[in-house]
Amino acid sequence: MNWKPNSFAVLGLAMMSAPIIAHAKIYVSIEQVQNIFFPKQSLTKSPIVITEDLQEKMRVASSIRHPFQGNRIWKTANGGWLIVDEVVGKHEMITYAVGIAPNGSILGIEILEYVESYGYEVAEAQWRAQFVGKSAKDPIKLNQDIQNIGGATLSCKHITDGVKRVSVLYDLALKEK
Amino acid sequence: MKARCQALLGTFVEISIEQDDSLISLDDAFKAIKQIQYLMSFHDPLSELNQINQHAHLKTVQVHPWTAEVLKIAQDIHQQSDGLFNCGIGHRLVAAGLLPRQLNLSTYQLGGIEDICFITPQTIHSKKPICLDLGGIAKGFAVDKAIDVLKASGIDSACVNAGGDLRVFGDTLRSIQIRNPSKPTQLIDIGTLKNGAIATSSLYFAQRDRLPSHIINPLTEDVQQIHVNFSGSFSVIAEECVYADALTKVLTLSNRHDHPCLHHFCAQAIKIAV
Repeated sequence: MNWKPNSFAVLGLAMMSAPIIAHAKIYVSIEQVQNIFFPKQSLTKSPIVITEDLQEKMRVASSIRHPFQGNRIWKTANGGWLIVDEVVGKHEMITYAVGIAPNGSILGIEILEYVESYGYEVAEAQWRAQFVGKSAKDPIKLNQDIQNIGGATLSCKHITDGVKRVSVLYDLALKEK
Repeated sequence: MKARCQALLGTFVEISIEQDDSLISLDDAFKAIKQIQYLMSFHDPLSELNQINQHAHLKTVQVHPWTAEVLKIAQDIHQQSDGLFNCGIGHRLVAAGLLPRQLNLSTYQLGGIEDICFITPQTIHSKKPICLDLGGIAKGFAVDKAIDVLKASGIDSACVNAGGDLRVFGDTLRSIQIRNPSKPTQLIDIGTLKNGAIATSSLYFAQRDRLPSHIINPLTEDVQQIHVNFSGSFSVIAEECVYADALTKVLTLSNRHDHPCLHHFCAQAIKIAV
Protein backbone atom coordinates (compact mmCIF):
# COMPACT_ATOMS: atom_id res chain seq x y z
CA MET A 1 0.00 0.00 0.00
CA ASN A 2 1.17 3.49 -0.81
CA TRP A 3 -0.86 6.35 0.68
CA LYS A 4 0.22 9.93 0.19
CA PRO A 5 -2.13 12.25 2.01
CA ASN A 6 -2.49 15.88 1.02
CA SER A 7 -1.04 18.16 3.65
CA PHE A 8 -4.33 18.94 5.39
CA ALA A 9 -5.22 15.26 5.61
CA VAL A 10 -2.07 14.64 7.64
CA LEU A 11 -3.51 16.96 10.23
CA GLY A 12 -6.88 15.29 9.90
CA LEU A 13 -8.52 18.52 8.85
CA ALA A 14 -10.52 19.53 5.84
CA MET A 15 -9.37 22.65 4.14
CA MET A 16 -10.13 23.42 0.56
CA SER A 17 -9.79 26.38 -1.65
CA ALA A 18 -11.64 25.14 -4.70
CA PRO A 19 -14.08 22.34 -4.05
CA ILE A 20 -14.70 19.82 -6.80
CA ILE A 21 -18.35 19.27 -7.59
CA ALA A 22 -19.70 15.75 -7.89
CA HIS A 23 -21.93 16.12 -10.89
CA ALA A 24 -22.39 13.45 -13.49
CA LYS A 25 -21.06 10.07 -14.36
CA ILE A 26 -21.85 8.38 -17.62
CA TYR A 27 -21.04 4.69 -17.50
CA VAL A 28 -22.29 2.75 -20.49
CA SER A 29 -24.40 3.46 -23.57
CA ILE A 30 -27.61 1.66 -24.51
CA GLU A 31 -25.65 -0.30 -27.15
CA GLN A 32 -23.11 -1.38 -24.55
CA VAL A 33 -25.76 -2.45 -22.06
CA GLN A 34 -27.48 -4.52 -24.77
CA ASN A 35 -24.19 -6.30 -25.28
CA ILE A 36 -23.68 -6.76 -21.53
CA PHE A 37 -27.03 -8.49 -20.97
CA PHE A 38 -27.47 -10.14 -24.36
CA PRO A 39 -24.04 -10.64 -25.89
CA LYS A 40 -24.06 -11.51 -29.60
CA GLN A 41 -27.84 -11.32 -29.80
CA SER A 42 -29.76 -8.89 -31.93
CA LEU A 43 -32.40 -6.80 -30.21
CA THR A 44 -35.49 -5.28 -31.76
CA LYS A 45 -36.86 -2.03 -30.48
CA SER A 46 -40.37 -2.75 -29.17
CA PRO A 47 -41.92 0.44 -27.82
CA ILE A 48 -45.27 0.06 -26.12
CA VAL A 49 -48.05 2.51 -25.32
CA ILE A 50 -48.39 2.92 -21.59
CA THR A 51 -52.10 3.19 -20.80
CA GLU A 52 -53.25 5.27 -17.85
CA ASP A 53 -54.28 2.10 -16.08
CA LEU A 54 -50.81 0.54 -16.47
CA GLN A 55 -49.11 3.78 -15.48
CA GLU A 56 -51.20 3.84 -12.30
CA LYS A 57 -50.41 0.21 -11.45
CA MET A 58 -46.71 0.89 -11.90
CA ARG A 59 -46.98 3.96 -9.70
CA VAL A 60 -48.74 2.04 -6.90
CA ALA A 61 -46.15 -0.76 -6.98
CA SER A 62 -43.15 1.52 -6.88
CA SER A 63 -44.36 4.82 -5.39
CA ILE A 64 -42.54 6.58 -8.25
CA ARG A 65 -44.63 9.43 -9.61
CA HIS A 66 -42.43 10.38 -12.55
CA PRO A 67 -44.26 8.75 -15.55
CA PHE A 68 -42.71 5.77 -17.28
CA GLN A 69 -41.89 6.21 -20.97
CA GLY A 70 -42.60 3.18 -23.11
CA ASN A 71 -40.20 4.02 -25.93
CA ARG A 72 -37.00 2.49 -24.55
CA ILE A 73 -37.85 -1.20 -24.66
CA TRP A 74 -36.03 -3.85 -26.67
CA LYS A 75 -36.73 -7.53 -27.23
CA THR A 76 -34.52 -10.47 -28.16
CA ALA A 77 -35.62 -13.18 -30.58
CA ASN A 78 -36.04 -15.73 -27.77
CA GLY A 79 -38.12 -13.58 -25.41
CA GLY A 80 -35.56 -11.64 -23.38
CA TRP A 81 -36.20 -7.95 -22.68
CA LEU A 82 -34.16 -4.84 -22.07
CA ILE A 83 -35.91 -1.89 -20.47
CA VAL A 84 -34.32 1.50 -19.94
CA ASP A 85 -35.87 3.82 -17.40
CA GLU A 86 -34.85 6.67 -15.19
CA VAL A 87 -35.57 7.68 -11.65
CA VAL A 88 -35.64 11.30 -10.68
CA GLY A 89 -35.05 11.68 -6.99
CA LYS A 90 -34.77 14.83 -4.93
CA HIS A 91 -31.01 14.79 -5.25
CA GLU A 92 -30.20 12.77 -8.30
CA MET A 93 -31.31 11.54 -11.69
CA ILE A 94 -30.33 8.02 -12.65
CA THR A 95 -30.80 6.28 -15.98
CA TYR A 96 -30.67 2.53 -15.58
CA ALA A 97 -31.36 -0.62 -17.56
CA VAL A 98 -33.00 -3.84 -16.46
CA GLY A 99 -32.29 -7.02 -18.39
CA ILE A 100 -34.97 -9.71 -18.16
CA ALA A 101 -34.29 -13.29 -19.24
CA PRO A 102 -36.84 -15.26 -21.32
CA ASN A 103 -37.95 -17.03 -18.11
CA GLY A 104 -38.76 -13.71 -16.46
CA SER A 105 -35.81 -13.60 -14.07
CA ILE A 106 -33.87 -10.36 -13.77
CA LEU A 107 -30.45 -10.64 -15.42
CA GLY A 108 -29.14 -7.49 -13.85
CA ILE A 109 -29.57 -3.82 -13.11
CA GLU A 110 -27.01 -1.68 -14.85
CA ILE A 111 -26.58 2.05 -14.29
CA LEU A 112 -26.16 4.06 -17.50
CA GLU A 113 -25.88 7.56 -16.06
CA TYR A 114 -25.78 9.01 -12.60
CA VAL A 115 -26.37 12.73 -12.34
CA GLU A 116 -26.13 14.25 -8.93
CA SER A 117 -27.13 17.74 -7.99
CA TYR A 118 -29.34 19.93 -5.89
CA GLY A 119 -33.04 19.18 -5.68
CA TYR A 120 -34.16 22.29 -7.53
CA GLU A 121 -31.92 21.51 -10.49
CA VAL A 122 -33.09 17.94 -10.77
CA ALA A 123 -36.71 19.14 -10.69
CA GLU A 124 -36.19 21.34 -13.78
CA ALA A 125 -37.20 19.51 -16.95
CA GLN A 126 -34.94 21.83 -18.92
CA TRP A 127 -31.94 21.00 -16.76
CA ARG A 128 -32.60 17.29 -17.18
CA ALA A 129 -32.97 17.64 -20.94
CA GLN A 130 -29.33 18.58 -21.32
CA PHE A 131 -28.29 15.06 -20.32
CA VAL A 132 -30.71 13.17 -22.55
CA GLY A 133 -28.97 11.21 -25.28
CA LYS A 134 -25.50 12.06 -24.06
CA SER A 135 -22.90 9.38 -24.27
CA ALA A 136 -19.66 8.86 -22.43
CA LYS A 137 -17.96 10.69 -25.29
CA ASP A 138 -19.73 13.96 -24.49
CA PRO A 139 -17.70 16.08 -22.15
CA ILE A 140 -20.66 18.23 -21.05
CA LYS A 141 -21.01 18.35 -17.27
CA LEU A 142 -18.83 15.29 -17.04
CA ASN A 143 -15.66 15.70 -15.14
CA GLN A 144 -13.57 12.93 -16.64
CA ASP A 145 -10.92 13.28 -13.96
CA ILE A 146 -13.10 12.38 -11.02
CA GLN A 147 -13.08 8.66 -10.62
CA ASN A 148 -12.63 7.63 -7.04
CA ILE A 149 -15.22 9.17 -4.78
CA GLY A 150 -15.27 7.95 -1.21
CA GLY A 151 -17.83 8.85 1.41
CA ALA A 152 -20.89 7.74 3.32
CA THR A 153 -22.86 4.98 1.61
CA LEU A 154 -25.23 6.28 -1.00
CA SER A 155 -28.53 4.37 -0.96
CA CYS A 156 -29.85 2.82 -4.16
CA LYS A 157 -33.43 2.73 -2.86
CA HIS A 158 -34.73 4.71 -5.84
CA ILE A 159 -33.34 2.12 -8.21
CA THR A 160 -34.94 -0.65 -6.16
CA ASP A 161 -38.27 1.19 -6.51
CA GLY A 162 -37.62 1.64 -10.23
CA VAL A 163 -37.05 -2.08 -10.68
CA LYS A 164 -40.39 -2.73 -8.96
CA ARG A 165 -42.18 -0.73 -11.62
CA VAL A 166 -40.25 -2.39 -14.41
CA SER A 167 -41.29 -5.78 -12.96
CA VAL A 168 -44.95 -4.68 -13.03
CA LEU A 169 -44.51 -3.57 -16.63
CA TYR A 170 -43.05 -6.95 -17.50
CA ASP A 171 -45.81 -8.90 -15.73
CA LEU A 172 -48.68 -6.90 -17.17
CA ALA A 173 -47.51 -5.86 -20.61
CA LEU A 174 -44.43 -7.70 -21.85
CA LYS A 175 -44.58 -11.29 -20.61
CA GLU A 176 -47.34 -12.42 -22.99
CA LYS A 177 -45.94 -10.63 -26.02
CA MET B 1 -10.78 4.82 -18.00
CA LYS B 2 -13.92 2.75 -18.45
CA ALA B 3 -16.47 2.09 -15.76
CA ARG B 4 -19.59 0.10 -15.09
CA CYS B 5 -22.00 0.56 -12.23
CA GLN B 6 -24.67 -1.76 -10.81
CA ALA B 7 -27.14 -1.43 -7.96
CA LEU B 8 -25.95 -4.01 -5.42
CA LEU B 9 -25.56 -4.31 -1.64
CA GLY B 10 -28.12 -1.50 -1.23
CA THR B 11 -25.82 0.95 -2.97
CA PHE B 12 -24.12 1.71 -6.27
CA VAL B 13 -21.14 -0.50 -7.03
CA GLU B 14 -18.76 0.98 -9.57
CA ILE B 15 -15.88 -0.90 -11.19
CA SER B 16 -13.47 1.08 -13.31
CA ILE B 17 -10.55 -0.22 -15.32
CA GLU B 18 -7.92 1.19 -17.64
CA GLN B 19 -8.46 -1.19 -20.55
CA ASP B 20 -11.05 0.02 -23.03
CA ASP B 21 -12.27 -3.25 -24.45
CA SER B 22 -12.96 -5.34 -21.40
CA LEU B 23 -16.23 -3.97 -20.00
CA ILE B 24 -17.84 -7.38 -20.31
CA SER B 25 -14.92 -8.96 -18.49
CA LEU B 26 -16.14 -7.08 -15.43
CA ASP B 27 -19.14 -9.44 -15.27
CA ASP B 28 -17.33 -11.94 -13.07
CA ALA B 29 -16.37 -9.26 -10.56
CA PHE B 30 -19.99 -8.10 -10.36
CA LYS B 31 -21.04 -11.75 -9.99
CA ALA B 32 -18.78 -12.11 -6.93
CA ILE B 33 -20.46 -9.09 -5.36
CA LYS B 34 -23.90 -10.48 -6.21
CA GLN B 35 -22.91 -13.73 -4.52
CA ILE B 36 -21.96 -11.82 -1.36
CA GLN B 37 -25.29 -10.01 -1.46
CA TYR B 38 -27.03 -13.37 -1.80
CA LEU B 39 -25.11 -14.80 1.18
CA MET B 40 -25.02 -11.84 3.54
CA SER B 41 -28.09 -9.69 2.90
CA PHE B 42 -30.22 -8.89 5.93
CA HIS B 43 -33.08 -7.89 3.59
CA ASP B 44 -33.32 -11.26 1.86
CA PRO B 45 -35.08 -13.70 4.22
CA LEU B 46 -33.38 -16.63 2.46
CA SER B 47 -29.82 -15.36 2.78
CA GLU B 48 -27.26 -17.40 4.68
CA LEU B 49 -27.03 -14.58 7.21
CA ASN B 50 -30.73 -14.94 8.02
CA GLN B 51 -30.33 -18.71 8.32
CA ILE B 52 -27.60 -18.07 10.89
CA ASN B 53 -29.79 -15.60 12.77
CA GLN B 54 -32.68 -18.06 12.80
CA HIS B 55 -30.96 -21.31 13.59
CA ALA B 56 -27.37 -20.94 14.83
CA HIS B 57 -28.37 -20.93 18.52
CA LEU B 58 -30.49 -24.05 18.01
CA LYS B 59 -28.26 -26.17 15.79
CA THR B 60 -25.05 -26.10 13.80
CA VAL B 61 -25.23 -24.20 10.52
CA GLN B 62 -23.13 -24.92 7.45
CA VAL B 63 -21.81 -21.73 5.87
CA HIS B 64 -20.11 -20.70 2.63
CA PRO B 65 -16.32 -20.14 2.94
CA TRP B 66 -16.84 -16.40 2.32
CA THR B 67 -19.39 -16.13 5.13
CA ALA B 68 -17.00 -18.00 7.41
CA GLU B 69 -14.20 -15.63 6.40
CA VAL B 70 -16.28 -12.51 7.16
CA LEU B 71 -17.36 -13.89 10.53
CA LYS B 72 -13.74 -14.68 11.44
CA ILE B 73 -12.56 -11.19 10.49
CA ALA B 74 -15.51 -9.67 12.39
CA GLN B 75 -14.55 -11.67 15.48
CA ASP B 76 -10.92 -10.61 15.16
CA ILE B 77 -11.84 -6.90 14.92
CA HIS B 78 -14.34 -7.31 17.74
CA GLN B 79 -11.58 -8.66 19.95
CA GLN B 80 -8.95 -6.11 18.94
CA SER B 81 -11.39 -3.22 19.45
CA ASP B 82 -12.51 -4.41 22.91
CA GLY B 83 -16.03 -4.88 21.61
CA LEU B 84 -16.45 -1.52 19.86
CA PHE B 85 -17.00 -3.36 16.60
CA ASN B 86 -19.79 -5.91 16.87
CA CYS B 87 -22.06 -7.19 14.11
CA GLY B 88 -24.59 -8.37 16.68
CA ILE B 89 -26.58 -5.14 16.43
CA GLY B 90 -29.14 -6.14 13.78
CA HIS B 91 -32.00 -5.88 16.28
CA ARG B 92 -31.11 -2.24 17.01
CA LEU B 93 -31.41 -1.38 13.31
CA VAL B 94 -34.66 -3.37 13.07
CA ALA B 95 -36.11 -1.50 16.06
CA ALA B 96 -35.20 1.82 14.40
CA GLY B 97 -36.90 0.77 11.17
CA LEU B 98 -33.59 0.73 9.27
CA LEU B 99 -33.75 -3.01 8.58
CA PRO B 100 -36.76 -5.28 7.96
CA ARG B 101 -38.01 -7.51 10.75
CA GLN B 102 -37.13 -11.10 9.82
CA LEU B 103 -37.63 -12.68 13.24
CA ASN B 104 -39.48 -11.93 16.41
CA LEU B 105 -36.61 -11.38 18.79
CA SER B 106 -38.19 -9.44 21.61
CA THR B 107 -38.25 -12.35 24.04
CA TYR B 108 -34.60 -13.24 23.68
CA GLN B 109 -31.50 -12.06 25.43
CA LEU B 110 -29.32 -11.59 22.40
CA GLY B 111 -25.63 -12.32 22.14
CA GLY B 112 -23.05 -10.89 19.75
CA ILE B 113 -20.39 -11.94 17.26
CA GLU B 114 -18.32 -13.29 20.18
CA ASP B 115 -20.93 -16.02 20.72
CA ILE B 116 -20.29 -17.61 17.34
CA CYS B 117 -18.21 -20.80 17.64
CA PHE B 118 -16.59 -22.60 14.74
CA ILE B 119 -17.16 -26.36 14.96
CA THR B 120 -15.33 -26.88 11.66
CA PRO B 121 -13.94 -24.18 9.34
CA GLN B 122 -17.38 -23.97 7.71
CA THR B 123 -19.76 -25.07 10.45
CA ILE B 124 -20.87 -22.67 13.13
CA HIS B 125 -22.96 -22.63 16.23
CA SER B 126 -23.99 -19.74 18.47
CA LYS B 127 -24.00 -19.86 22.26
CA LYS B 128 -26.87 -17.37 22.38
CA PRO B 129 -29.63 -16.20 20.03
CA ILE B 130 -28.13 -13.56 17.77
CA CYS B 131 -29.22 -10.94 15.27
CA LEU B 132 -26.14 -10.30 13.18
CA ASP B 133 -26.08 -7.57 10.56
CA LEU B 134 -23.04 -7.55 8.27
CA GLY B 135 -23.84 -4.07 6.92
CA GLY B 136 -20.72 -2.69 8.59
CA ILE B 137 -18.27 -5.08 6.96
CA ALA B 138 -19.73 -6.93 3.94
CA LYS B 139 -19.37 -4.03 1.50
CA GLY B 140 -15.66 -3.85 2.17
CA PHE B 141 -15.38 -7.62 1.91
CA ALA B 142 -17.25 -7.57 -1.42
CA VAL B 143 -14.87 -4.92 -2.76
CA ASP B 144 -11.91 -7.16 -1.87
CA LYS B 145 -13.46 -10.21 -3.53
CA ALA B 146 -14.18 -8.21 -6.70
CA ILE B 147 -10.56 -7.05 -6.74
CA ASP B 148 -9.42 -10.71 -6.39
CA VAL B 149 -11.55 -11.68 -9.39
CA LEU B 150 -10.21 -8.80 -11.50
CA LYS B 151 -6.62 -9.70 -10.64
CA ALA B 152 -7.24 -13.37 -11.47
CA SER B 153 -8.74 -12.45 -14.84
CA GLY B 154 -5.59 -10.60 -15.84
CA ILE B 155 -6.71 -7.00 -15.37
CA ASP B 156 -3.73 -5.05 -14.12
CA SER B 157 -5.27 -1.88 -12.76
CA ALA B 158 -8.73 -1.17 -11.36
CA CYS B 159 -10.85 0.59 -8.78
CA VAL B 160 -13.87 -1.00 -7.10
CA ASN B 161 -16.12 1.42 -5.27
CA ALA B 162 -19.13 0.12 -3.31
CA GLY B 163 -21.03 3.32 -2.58
CA GLY B 164 -18.04 5.11 -1.07
CA ASP B 165 -15.99 2.19 0.25
CA LEU B 166 -13.30 1.65 -2.33
CA ARG B 167 -10.09 -0.15 -3.14
CA VAL B 168 -7.59 0.51 -5.90
CA PHE B 169 -4.94 -1.74 -7.38
CA GLY B 170 -2.32 -1.39 -10.07
CA ASP B 171 0.83 0.55 -10.67
CA THR B 172 -0.61 4.04 -10.67
CA LEU B 173 -1.13 6.35 -7.75
CA ARG B 174 -4.77 7.39 -7.93
CA SER B 175 -6.15 10.53 -6.46
CA ILE B 176 -8.92 9.95 -3.96
CA GLN B 177 -11.74 12.38 -3.27
CA ILE B 178 -14.11 12.14 -0.38
CA ARG B 179 -17.39 13.95 0.04
CA ASN B 180 -17.38 17.09 2.10
CA PRO B 181 -19.59 16.16 5.08
CA SER B 182 -21.06 19.64 5.30
CA LYS B 183 -21.89 19.69 1.56
CA PRO B 184 -21.81 16.14 0.16
CA THR B 185 -22.05 17.22 -3.51
CA GLN B 186 -18.61 18.80 -3.07
CA LEU B 187 -15.50 16.68 -2.97
CA ILE B 188 -12.29 17.05 -1.04
CA ASP B 189 -9.12 15.80 -2.68
CA ILE B 190 -7.51 14.00 0.25
CA GLY B 191 -4.47 12.40 -1.36
CA THR B 192 -3.26 9.63 -3.61
CA LEU B 193 -3.45 5.92 -3.04
CA LYS B 194 -1.89 2.88 -4.67
CA ASN B 195 -2.86 -0.70 -3.80
CA GLY B 196 -4.99 0.22 -0.85
CA ALA B 197 -8.52 0.84 0.38
CA ILE B 198 -10.50 3.61 2.03
CA ALA B 199 -13.90 3.53 3.70
CA THR B 200 -15.89 6.29 5.36
CA SER B 201 -18.56 6.58 8.04
CA SER B 202 -20.71 9.65 8.09
CA LEU B 203 -24.33 10.61 8.62
CA TYR B 204 -24.85 13.32 6.02
CA PHE B 205 -27.07 11.18 3.79
CA ALA B 206 -28.95 9.75 6.80
CA GLN B 207 -29.52 13.23 8.17
CA ARG B 208 -30.51 14.59 4.75
CA ASP B 209 -33.08 11.79 4.42
CA ARG B 210 -34.19 12.21 8.07
CA LEU B 211 -33.20 8.69 9.06
CA PRO B 212 -31.93 7.72 12.50
CA SER B 213 -28.20 7.10 12.83
CA HIS B 214 -27.11 3.68 11.61
CA ILE B 215 -23.95 3.89 13.74
CA ILE B 216 -24.78 1.74 16.75
CA ASN B 217 -22.84 1.61 19.98
CA PRO B 218 -22.80 -2.12 20.82
CA LEU B 219 -21.53 -1.54 24.35
CA THR B 220 -24.55 0.26 25.73
CA GLU B 221 -28.07 -0.68 26.76
CA ASP B 222 -28.98 2.97 27.32
CA VAL B 223 -31.62 3.87 24.72
CA GLN B 224 -30.29 7.43 24.47
CA GLN B 225 -26.81 6.23 23.54
CA ILE B 226 -27.55 3.33 21.18
CA HIS B 227 -27.71 5.46 18.03
CA VAL B 228 -24.58 7.55 17.83
CA ASN B 229 -25.02 10.97 16.25
CA PHE B 230 -22.13 13.05 15.02
CA SER B 231 -21.19 15.54 12.36
CA GLY B 232 -18.17 15.34 10.11
CA SER B 233 -16.84 12.14 8.66
CA PHE B 234 -14.45 9.38 9.65
CA SER B 235 -12.40 7.57 7.04
CA VAL B 236 -9.99 4.68 7.43
CA ILE B 237 -7.26 3.73 4.99
CA ALA B 238 -6.07 0.13 5.04
CA GLU B 239 -4.55 -2.46 2.77
CA GLU B 240 -7.83 -4.32 2.36
CA CYS B 241 -11.30 -2.81 2.16
CA VAL B 242 -12.88 -5.22 4.65
CA TYR B 243 -10.65 -3.74 7.37
CA ALA B 244 -11.15 -0.16 6.19
CA ASP B 245 -14.93 -0.66 6.26
CA ALA B 246 -15.14 -2.30 9.69
CA LEU B 247 -12.56 -0.02 11.30
CA THR B 248 -14.52 3.13 10.43
CA LYS B 249 -16.93 1.98 13.13
CA VAL B 250 -14.09 1.68 15.66
CA LEU B 251 -12.80 5.12 14.69
CA THR B 252 -16.25 6.73 14.79
CA LEU B 253 -17.24 5.22 18.13
CA SER B 254 -13.91 5.82 19.84
CA ASN B 255 -13.26 9.19 18.14
CA ARG B 256 -9.58 8.29 18.44
CA HIS B 257 -7.36 8.38 15.37
CA ASP B 258 -4.65 6.64 17.43
CA HIS B 259 -6.87 3.78 18.62
CA PRO B 260 -4.61 0.71 19.10
CA CYS B 261 -6.96 -1.37 16.98
CA LEU B 262 -6.20 0.83 13.92
CA HIS B 263 -2.51 0.40 14.60
CA HIS B 264 -2.91 -3.36 14.95
CA PHE B 265 -4.39 -3.60 11.45
CA CYS B 266 -1.90 -1.08 9.98
CA ALA B 267 -4.74 1.35 9.25
CA GLN B 268 -4.72 5.13 9.19
CA ALA B 269 -7.50 7.51 10.17
CA ILE B 270 -8.77 10.68 8.55
CA LYS B 271 -11.33 12.77 10.33
CA ILE B 272 -13.05 15.59 8.51
CA ALA B 273 -14.49 17.97 11.05
CA VAL B 274 -17.24 20.42 10.20
